[in-house]
Amino acid sequence: MSDADRSPSGETLDHVAFRMPSHPRYLPLLRALVGESATLVGFDSDLRTRVLLAVTEAVTNVIRHAYGGVLTKPIDLEVRATDESLRLDLIDYGLFIDPKHIASRPLEDVRPGGLGVHLIKTTMDRVEYRENAHGGTTLTMVKLVTQPKESS
Amino acid sequence: MKVSQETKGSASLFIVEGQVDMHTSPELRGHLREALTQQASPLVVDLTSVGFIDSSGLATLIEALQAVGKYGGKLRLCGLTPEVRKLFDLAQLSTIFDLRDNREDACGD
Repeated sequence: MSDADRSPSGETLDHVAFRMPSHPRYLPLLRALVGESATLVGFDSDLRTRVLLAVTEAVTNVIRHAYGGVLTKPIDLEVRATDESLRLDLIDYGLFIDPKHIASRPLEDVRPGGLGVHLIKTTMDRVEYRENAHGGTTLTMVKLVTQPKESS
Repeated sequence: MKVSQETKGSASLFIVEGQVDMHTSPELRGHLREALTQQASPLVVDLTSVGFIDSSGLATLIEALQAVGKYGGKLRLCGLTPEVRKLFDLAQLSTIFDLRDNREDACGD
């Protein structure tokens, strides 16, 4: 590693960090960052659309469920773009919500709501929810550059 | 997001521009609710200039679809970009809605 790879403090940096208030007015800003990151990785329009949907649904769930609609709480996103994948770590500081407890409906039951968690799971290749050190939730979502053959 | 309304023949046309998400879908819902109160039909939503729609936006359209069904009206969507069409497909909603290619077709009888 060259000196140019290190920050002034000597720390190595492998991701882009973004912090936003839990207000949905900032969702377009978040999508701009993630969309450009998807382009950087080399995703086509289809994969880019999937990633944008997943991150939007994830942040919407944080605002609604982890923060109960409070609009001034911090939401952090870490973006790691490599040749193999785009990894998004979404960190909140609210209550840890087990995704099993977020109502999700069968797709054939057509009615408003209840699609968010389902869409996150179907659009990303790896999805993992875990309680973080702050008592909130860290959601890791990964989209691979090379898609498994059975994935559409 | 911007929503403008026109009347085309018997159709009540809503032209939506921008991104529809948790922040903007309440505004779209408000516009549609007014037409639904008046039992407008066909109610047409032109999505030609919409680049993104999330589950909040889809829920708003499902609500409108169910509302027009209650008074025997019709809801048509038109001008879906490939990206927005993909979002409908992912939610398995493409077959639920009456999707038309363009505004003229959607506003017809």
